[in-house]
Amino acid sequence: MLEQQLVNALSLGCVYALFALGFTLVFGVLGVINLSHGAIFMLGAYAALEVVTRLALPLWIGLIVALLVAGTVGLLIDVLVLRPLRARNAPHLIPMIATIGIGIFFNSAVQGIFGAENLRFPSEAMPDAQLHFGGVQVSVLELVIIVLSFALMGTLMLVMKKTQLGRALRAIAESPKAAALLGINVEGLFFLTSFTAAALGGISGVLIALYSNAVFPLMGQPILHKGIAVIILGGMGDIRGALVGGLFLGFAEVLAVAYIGSTMRDAIAFGLLFLVLLVRPQGIFGKLLERKA
Amino acid sequence: MEWFDNFWAVYSNLVLTIGINALLALSIWLTLSCGLLAMANAAFMGIGAYTASLLTMNAGASFPVALLGGIAAPVAAALIIGAPTLRLSGVYLAMATLGFGEVVRVMILNADTWTGGALGLNGIPQLTQWWHVVAALVLVLLLLWRLRRSRIGRAFEAIKEDQIAASLMGIGVMAHKMLAFALGAGIAGLAGALNAHLTFFIGPSEFGFDRGVDILTMAILGGTGGLSGPVLGAAIITLLPELLRSFKDFRLMLNGAILVLIVLFLPKGIWDPMRLRQWFGRAGVR
Amino acid sequence: MLLSRVPFAARSLVVALAAAGAVASAAAADIKIGAAEAISGPAGQYGQSIRNGFQLAVDEINAAGGVKGNKIALQVEDEQGKKEQAIDVFKKLIFQDKVLMLFGPTLSNSAQAADPIAQAAKVVVFGTSNTADGITSIGDYVFRNSVTEADVLPETLRVAAKHTGLKKVAVMYGNDDVFTKSGYDAFKKALEDLKIPVTTTETFAKGDVDFKAQLTKIKASGADAIVLSALIAEGAPIMVQARQLGIDLPVIGGNGMNSAKIFDLAKEKSDNLWVGSPWALGNQTKENEHFVVAYTQKYKAAPDQFSAQAYDAMNIAAQALGKIKLSGDLAADRKALRDALPSVTWTGATGAFKFRQAMDKSGKPAGHDAQQAAIVSVTKGGKYSIEK
Repeated sequence: MLEQQLVNALSLGCVYALFALGFTLVFGVLGVINLSHGAIFMLGAYAALEVVTRLALPLWIGLIVALLVAGTVGLLIDVLVLRPLRARNAPHLIPMIATIGIGIFFNSAVQGIFGAENLRFPSEAMPDAQLHFGGVQVSVLELVIIVLSFALMGTLMLVMKKTQLGRALRAIAESPKAAALLGINVEGLFFLTSFTAAALGGISGVLIALYSNAVFPLMGQPILHKGIAVIILGGMGDIRGALVGGLFLGFAEVLAVAYIGSTMRDAIAFGLLFLVLLVRPQGIFGKLLERKA
Repeated sequence: MEWFDNFWAVYSNLVLTIGINALLALSIWLTLSCGLLAMANAAFMGIGAYTASLLTMNAGASFPVALLGGIAAPVAAALIIGAPTLRLSGVYLAMATLGFGEVVRVMILNADTWTGGALGLNGIPQLTQWWHVVAALVLVLLLLWRLRRSRIGRAFEAIKEDQIAASLMGIGVMAHKMLAFALGAGIAGLAGALNAHLTFFIGPSEFGFDRGVDILTMAILGGTGGLSGPVLGAAIITLLPELLRSFKDFRLMLNGAILVLIVLFLPKGIWDPMRLRQWFGRAGVR
Repeated sequence: MLLSRVPFAARSLVVALAAAGAVASAAAADIKIGAAEAISGPAGQYGQSIRNGFQLAVDEINAAGGVKGNKIALQVEDEQGKKEQAIDVFKKLIFQDKVLMLFGPTLSNSAQAADPIAQAAKVVVFGTSNTADGITSIGDYVFRNSVTEADVLPETLRVAAKHTGLKKVAVMYGNDDVFTKSGYDAFKKALEDLKIPVTTTETFAKGDVDFKAQLTKIKASGADAIVLSALIAEGAPIMVQARQLGIDLPVIGGNGMNSAKIFDLAKEKSDNLWVGSPWALGNQTKENEHFVVAYTQKYKAAPDQFSAQAYDAMNIAAQALGKIKLSGDLAADRKALRDALPSVTWTGATGAFKFRQAMDKSGKPAGHDAQQAAIVSVTKGGKYSIEK
């Protein structure tokens, strides 16, 4: 049983990591905790679902549409709501509350339009094959999720470290004002980050909808709560933190269920979270100092 | 008077809920006034609610004793977790306290022999009268008003402005933060105890993330400049679902939209003494 | 003289209210029935089903001339699946809209909080989806036609055990929801009574997407079947992931798993699921077939247990209304309705129905539960097939 549980933990951890990547990106660069990320995740899933069911197009097109729809929503949120708040130097609580309102807005809008019940992707669209490796079952979809999260993390890290874009983003993460003085197009990069982070959220929405077999208006909420735990564990704003934090949480949960008892699962996961915060509050990769300007 | 009786029969719950929500909003206002974004007040409310309810239901305690228990338990919890978590600041503190909230919720769920778990506590004696809520609100407002004008209140301001400068001036930063945190917890616990004895049924899902978000929104919406802000914010957030009832399916959507609009266009919250002075200044009112 | 002290606004309000009241009583005496259900929010899918069931019944009754010539005016309010909202909506329907009786709320949680209000106001509250404990024990104005898990589950277990020859089971349930936790308590007791040992007990929470850790543990425990107390949102993925992990055991489900949606959501992985319920889509009685056809025509979707029970409940209420004479005195009429209900018997979409009185906490007679036989079905090839 142990090997199977380890594989379970790996895929669950990557599910969390996928969601957390977009979430942590927004915090790292824009300094905002975007609590509408759960709604964006959900919108990506619905967008792909509509493309596949109503337009009867293949799944990969659905993924692209999800990426574009989610990314655009993220961009609009930045342009219409976050930017005006930046312009007047609102204390960082305020954008967070705005994103709460946005999340509520989208969750209910989707419920009003599509109804509250669970929908699912048609089984033809889904890759359902199972693979067996020495007593362990793994589905193709899980492998895709695992590979994708590592690949995305790797790509983002590469961009951050080796490219000019990455350097500019890191400068902004340190201090937007200083970055602007250095001639970096701060607003433009904010827009890019919002789009990308949201696009990531949208893609993870589709993948997780396929994994869990369910699309429903509030699907983003539980994973948003877990996402918060992940970025605290991993370090807010750090890309490696999203993956490491996600894996940490995934392993903690699965092993807690397997060897202690499933009733204690959430208690252990959050208890660990709390412990990490006591001992190393900035998380595994985070920095304790808050950014000044 | 029949008109009033009718009104009261329909809306008594709503009015008292506004009062209880006002207490909650004030509890977070207190911590915010010290520069702490602590999102644990929903959990403290839950601790207060369960403690008070268990006291009246299982120990047969009288209402005042139960209320005291409902205040004492969260204060104790706050003192325990305050020491490690208050070292954090800003957004890290917010997230840590949010995490604490989840831990409390899960603990309540799992301790089901005591708390009834997911089934919650049912049949709590309905002891809260309207004057309890009014008295609690008045007392808390008085307390906070006096606090504001005292040395402690000024110390809070100083810490909120610049923690390091404050400590250099000899203000015990940690001690003051603990005071704000614990006092806020006590007020939230009182609100929880009153609420439990009003709706005679409580469950763990009411004291989680959603409640924490509601409380924060009430304070920020109303405006954190003065004491009237949180009360006003509580009234609005409580009344909004009622006023928007005719929108049916799309009511929550409007709720969210209104939140965003207020944040965008009324940044200091609704009750902003400076802006109001600006508006009324013309009429010669100072 | 005193009147002039009352502010103008209040006086005009009183006059307006009186006028409205006069107009209302002058109109053809429509029977006002309220329904507080979760139309939005996480329980929205059940609330909407229930509302559809009510509406279908009301339309049929009114088309046939109403109850003794009076049409039923149904007023549906959204309680969002939250207990505070349920309380507020109940108060509004009872004191402001002055309904004769009300249905709802959707969740047992909300019922425990809001039903006492109806009881205190002496207004019949009729639940169609509340299955937890502690509801009809609130008082004699509380009724429900939703058969409790405690009544259905032993029957489901018995039939499933007979057909699958199971010796020991693993149990899995949602521990953060009143409904699934109640279901678990009922299952636990039924398993003890039937002397079926439990190999392991696993839990999950609402909104979980991954159940493989629990399922892997269940597989390793050597159980012959999985007893599952879940709502469809988690139940469907659990079945799919179980099949994916190579667990082909029969799954014995509680009330939440009884929905045609399982075929949609789990497709070919939905086979071998046993559920018991007072209602089954494939139950070929005259009344049920009429209901299924009418519902499908009106809503373009198959009905589920929730809409069936709501439909029958409205008819049961109409039967009681037919037995009393409406005098126009609201308090008297409300009491007359309450007195007429317990003796109603009705054969509807859910089969033969009658009430059974429940006890309150101190053992005195209180509200009324449903007395109905459960039908056990197993899923095979995308359909429920009834087994005995």
